[in-house]
Amino acid sequence: MILDPILDVFRGRAITIPPLDGAFRANTGLDDAAVFATLLGADDLCRHASGVLASAGRGLFRLRAGAAPEQVETHPAPISAIAASGATLAVALEDGTLIENGAAVARPDGVSCITALAYGPDGALWLTNGSDRHGPADWANDLMERNSAGSVWCRAPGGGWQRVAGGLGWPFGVLPDTKGAVVSESWRHRLVRVGGGRITPVLRHLPGYPARLSSRPGGGAWLTLFAPRNRLIEFVLRENHYRFDMMAKVPRAFWIAPAMSSGQSFLEPLQCGGIRVMGVHKPWAPSRSYGLAVRLDADMAPEISLHSRANGKRHGTCAALETEDGLLVASRGGGMVLAPNAGEGA
Amino acid sequence: MEPILRLEKVTKAYRSVPAIQDVDFDLRKGEIHALLGENGAGKSTLTKVMAGVVEPTSGRMIYKGRETTFANPNEALHSGVAMVFQETSLVPSMTVAQNLYLGSERFLNRLRGTFISAQQFLQSLNFPVDPGAMVESLGAAKRQMVEIARAVHHKSEVIIFDEPTATLTPEEKRHFFALLRRLRERGVSIVFISHALEEALMIADRITILRDGELVTTGPTADFDRDKIIAAMVGRTLSGELYRKRDASHLRKPGRKVLSVQDISMGAMVRNTSFSIFEGQITGVFGLIGSGRTETFKIISGIYKRDFLRGGQITLDDRPVRYYTPAQAVSDGICYITEDRKSEGFFETMSIGENLFAGMLAAGREDGVVIRKRTLRDLAEEWTSRLNIKAINPDARVVELSGGNQQKVVIGKGLIQKPRIVIFDEPTRGVDVAAISEIHQLINDLADQGLAVVMISSYLPEILNLSDRILVCRQGRIVEELSPLEATEEKIMYAAVH
Repeated sequence: MILDPILDVFRGRAITIPPLDGAFRANTGLDDAAVFATLLGADDLCRHASGVLASAGRGLFRLRAGAAPEQVETHPAPISAIAASGATLAVALEDGTLIENGAAVARPDGVSCITALAYGPDGALWLTNGSDRHGPADWANDLMERNSAGSVWCRAPGGGWQRVAGGLGWPFGVLPDTKGAVVSESWRHRLVRVGGGRITPVLRHLPGYPARLSSRPGGGAWLTLFAPRNRLIEFVLRENHYRFDMMAKVPRAFWIAPAMSSGQSFLEPLQCGGIRVMGVHKPWAPSRSYGLAVRLDADMAPEISLHSRANGKRHGTCAALETEDGLLVASRGGGMVLAPNAGEGA
Repeated sequence: MEPILRLEKVTKAYRSVPAIQDVDFDLRKGEIHALLGENGAGKSTLTKVMAGVVEPTSGRMIYKGRETTFANPNEALHSGVAMVFQETSLVPSMTVAQNLYLGSERFLNRLRGTFISAQQFLQSLNFPVDPGAMVESLGAAKRQMVEIARAVHHKSEVIIFDEPTATLTPEEKRHFFALLRRLRERGVSIVFISHALEEALMIADRITILRDGELVTTGPTADFDRDKIIAAMVGRTLSGELYRKRDASHLRKPGRKVLSVQDISMGAMVRNTSFSIFEGQITGVFGLIGSGRTETFKIISGIYKRDFLRGGQITLDDRPVRYYTPAQAVSDGICYITEDRKSEGFFETMSIGENLFAGMLAAGREDGVVIRKRTLRDLAEEWTSRLNIKAINPDARVVELSGGNQQKVVIGKGLIQKPRIVIFDEPTRGVDVAAISEIHQLINDLADQGLAVVMISSYLPEILNLSDRILVCRQGRIVEELSPLEATEEKIMYAAVH
């Protein structure tokens, strides 16, 4: 056992991925879910005093059951995150602008990649800065460069911005509570608690890339994972020369990298020879995109999960929101907001 | 019909403690007679008397109308009474063919001739065993097949099978039962001991039930059903306790993920298998023999080593581990309770206390370097009472205990190590119904205490009724996870086969 780290240099470290079992047991909870709204590029969700809001591209939409999404705001740049507390609404744009109640507000110095926003129970505004080096749309570049340049910031009511944590691998979700906040760190496949100058892992070895977090009415939280981990990508992430060659020579849509949706071009990379056998799309195939929403208990332990598998289309799940009326999941790859049964799943 | 073999008022006592007492038994020509009873009921002793393995203390045996006493099993065999033992009596360093003809070789023996005739004979029995294979390389099921073939080969008129089906797959059992029927048609009389009551009800013409060394009842199979047999065996009904239907309220929720197995491989036996184990849950693992389920968990417990290159990863509490010896796994709180208790589970000539102490030694929990007799006795008394081990006295050697009580000693030897993950491999194989109930209760208690429990079993009702989640193993990997609420025997078997 002591020699293993030395032996690993010669035999190569095992490239493994946590299995989808236990609470992550595969199902078709998202594939079978009703479509709440068709919304191309649906990304983030929040609950505002005026109703449930969803961001998609440059527009902010109000969602109502049985009605088409109503566009309530349009911004000059795509929206990268939204959050609300009562009637207060915060919107972050991909160009780094932060808008609160319709007016641009100061953002922390050097922050231009706001991936998630959330109001804490004390009214503090929390934001995650995915990376110091790339904007929100260039997340794949940040992963392929293996950066850990993300940070978490908090602005107390009436106060200024304070950096709570840094050196994170693409923080993509934040869930504030009275002790700090739980943050999803996509490139390290984990949830961490930040606060008091410390970063403590809460849930590790997730089988995908975690995205946003939202609290549940009865306690606990929903976590979405926007893409699955697969062996080929894990392998490429360890092969520096190949990866940099690929980034330099291949169009980004065809990189061996996670994706919000896949299967749209024959030029896309495949693993294990293909994901179709005799014309049948294998649900367990190692795909680049996936849909996964996970219900966490109060201790952030996974309870159940809802999946859109490799043969589904409701991939790139970036946000989930549970209200008294039910659960909504935004599928960026599928271009829709889903209303799955929150009690279903593994 | 005149019985071919009759026992009258037979008693056999060990150290003046009777194992069987005043038992009357008769076996008719061309019948299959099931002998049932709890472990320790005296079934094995009774059959050992018939086969000349032990001499009765009192009573008489009448074979083919003449009072007979066999001095040894060889004499019984030559007189036409063969016994197929639970623990096979094959020579491991010889081939299957050589074992088949051992003792009946011709003066000029040709290896090729022996091989061909053994091959033809095994094929006639539908046993897929390579006659050229060394017995030591065979699994338990195939050894059992060779043992059965050897008994059939001797053209015995009475064949006694002591739990012949315990290690056979459903398909092999079907062939075995067809063989029994063919033997019956030829006029061979068969005594058949089994803990699987359905098998007795299916194959036997008559059933005899023993309890505490005494005959309880004998009668045609048509007069019995499962509940009647259990009531006669244990003096109370257990069918409500064993294998009851479960609903969602009975399922335990998963606790913390304590063990994560990712893509582990070991030759052709374990191939890229991945799964997780959670605290406070019983994870049932089902798979046919050869599916790699035992090997997978032996890798986890450090008994086998995974592939050196590309062998995958095991994380315990998010910490990568690679065990080179079982002691390392034991010290990390992983306990594997073997399916083969006789060869891997205990030291049969040692006492209960000494075996339990061996468990403590493995975990490094012993105090000092001197082993005191008092310590061993205290250990034996504590665990005998905790696990309800039935022994003549705490100093009893494990070999003197019945199968169920031996299994409890093996479990005690594991639990004394204070593990966090307990892996039970076929925990109720060769164990009677009353002990099964106690072992199931123990497994449930361990999960309720928050331990991560894994139960590997070939018996589907056990898997369905004890597990909080079910993993199905096929061709060296976990291929399916099912909830006991949605799982059926058909679904599990389908996943295990297809």
